[in-house]
Amino acid sequence: MQIMADETFDLAGCLNRVRQQDQSASRALVEHLYPLVIRIVRARLPRRVAEEDLAQDIFLKMFTRLAQYQGVVPFSHWVSRIAVTTCIDQLRAQQRRPELRWADLSASQAEVLDNVLTDARDETPSDALAAHELVHKLLGQLSPADQTVIRMLDLEQKTIAEISQFTGWGQSMIKVRAFRARRKLQKLFQTLKETEKS
Amino acid sequence: MKHHKQSWQKLVATARAYRDPREAAAPYGFAVRVASQASVGRAAGTWGLLEKFALRGLIAACTFSLVAIAFGYSTASGEHDDEVASNDIVGEILNLS
Repeated sequence: MQIMADETFDLAGCLNRVRQQDQSASRALVEHLYPLVIRIVRARLPRRVAEEDLAQDIFLKMFTRLAQYQGVVPFSHWVSRIAVTTCIDQLRAQQRRPELRWADLSASQAEVLDNVLTDARDETPSDALAAHELVHKLLGQLSPADQTVIRMLDLEQKTIAEISQFTGWGQSMIKVRAFRARRKLQKLFQTLKETEKS
Repeated sequence: MKHHKQSWQKLVATARAYRDPREAAAPYGFAVRVASQASVGRAAGTWGLLEKFALRGLIAACTFSLVAIAFGYSTASGEHDDEVASNDIVGEILNLS
């Protein structure tokens, strides 16, 4: 993670200056945190929402709530939590996607899905983009909370404890959500297979 | 179920190999815009607090004014009654005379 690598940045000092209404410190903080925030936004970007607008909302929330930050968790975790919950709220505000059908997939996405369903061959690196898009399409069929859990578990390979830290949800609730989301994904796969045949 | 699980795991493993080629640094002017909006928001927050207290003060002042007017009116009308009563007394005295 870029934010972790940037050890020269004096975060504590910057936060103190931001609390004293220092504009240049606020700018430095935004620039320092942008890679972290934009990575979260891009992974969960709702339809019809510009990534910069969503990132801006997240940063404004961060500044508004800065007085609430007690330093119990690392600042990057605290900001990540704001980013994740803001993305979930945006996804909730959207209307549900129509049912995903085989015909909605691009040629490369359909080929990747066909391969994983039939175990035809190992995936090549060139399939990564199509697989990435396909996973996003499939996850888009789930509720925002289910999407978040599966994305963090399977794509970002986070532990249940980490997901709990980022979302504020209890660990048992996350496990239940993951179980239900996987069942929904199974149904989605079946529906896609059926629409392929028809 | 097992087959589905394997298919899903294979799909996400392929998807994980994807590296986003887009720039991760803040676009030009983004930090300036956000920092200035945040400072405007903070100022608005302070004014908002003042406005909230000012509004409460105004409501309290209006309530006190209404109470004062109500009491003042009843007192004034009470005085007027006394005046009428005293006038009547004068009339009575005159009548007596």
